[in-house]
Amino acid sequence: MTQIRKTDEINLSAPMARLENICKSCDLLNTEDCKESGCLVGFSKKVLRFALQKGVLDIPGASGLIPSSDFKPYYSDTVAPVLAETCRQCKECRDNHSPDCVVALVRSAMELTVLPEAVPYPGSIFMYLAGIKSRDPQLAAKLADELQKGGKQR
Amino acid sequence: MGEGVFRQRNGMVAVDVVAACGVMTPEQFLALAGKVNELGSFRVKLTTRQTLVVVLEEDKAPALIKALPEMGLVLSPYGDVVRAVKACAGNSALCPRSTGEALDLGIEIQNRYLGKAVPKDFKIAVAGCYRGCVDPHCADFGVVCAGRDFYDVILGGLGGGARPAHGRVVARKATKDSVYAILDFVIENFTRLAEPGEKLCRAMARLGPERFTPPDQLINCKDDAGDNEFKNFLLAD
Repeated sequence: MTQIRKTDEINLSAPMARLENICKSCDLLNTEDCKESGCLVGFSKKVLRFALQKGVLDIPGASGLIPSSDFKPYYSDTVAPVLAETCRQCKECRDNHSPDCVVALVRSAMELTVLPEAVPYPGSIFMYLAGIKSRDPQLAAKLADELQKGGKQR
Repeated sequence: MGEGVFRQRNGMVAVDVVAACGVMTPEQFLALAGKVNELGSFRVKLTTRQTLVVVLEEDKAPALIKALPEMGLVLSPYGDVVRAVKACAGNSALCPRSTGEALDLGIEIQNRYLGKAVPKDFKIAVAGCYRGCVDPHCADFGVVCAGRDFYDVILGGLGGGARPAHGRVVARKATKDSVYAILDFVIENFTRLAEPGEKLCRAMARLGPERFTPPDQLINCKDDAGDNEFKNFLLAD
């Protein structure tokens, strides 16, 4: 059986590497129109950088700052690896799940890139996958595929 | 006010020692260890209120109690008073889940209120996040950090007893000053309105929770615009 979580600690560098892959294919990269605060990927990177810098895993109120009006085109091929990484890093807090958890912030922002709205997180990866499947079976298949790879970068 | 010295079944006494919400420096720990060893203490137990109980012969207890202040420790008050504050290890140096300075606030509250007389024992818990490792919903006065320097306040919990109860949230995102204003208001009304020996939650049920709920002007809450520090970080493109 595939081991979804690699370590007991949250590795914030892992989703960062996968976010960079999305940026590499973005037309706005290295232009003056590249504004992280208004970009779902940029927001996610800022969340991770802030968390690493401050040593926190929760940023109160940050879920209200997700730039949901970012309508740039995104593709599930590059988004699924980020979502998979958030699943690997998720501690499955269940009742203690917080939408302002840094892992949840990245996941919610990434969902908005390819889905009409963020998916309410049930606090466990298995139930989350079921929720994605009911909304977008193709994305769910890619996500499951990424999870089975066990976190190896392409 | 009673003192935390309790007769045990084996004939010894248990001396309840309060540290800063359970936090001790290595020097304090060594000094206490040396003293309890010197006095031939039987056992040392950690308590649910983050205090230490030293079990020793009754005639040795005064020597231990006398030595506590020079170690920066306190003999626990007992009875119908504000008890030792429980706070989690949440602050900017410790637990990464914490959203604020819970430990520091807990220590500060304990320094101000420990031993204050009330109609029935009054327990305070300060948690750094809603995981609530110190059970803030089970305290007479629970505080949960809801961001940097703002807090949710929960009133009227009761963790023990035959009829335990969860408290109700009376303020969200209150500032630290507001937490103190609410605590003063609650203790004042509890002292004035409750019957002797009546827990806060029972007094709230008998008289109505609104008698103990602070007025709006006392609750200085921050808006819901998010953590300013992160907001500034985010907008600095």
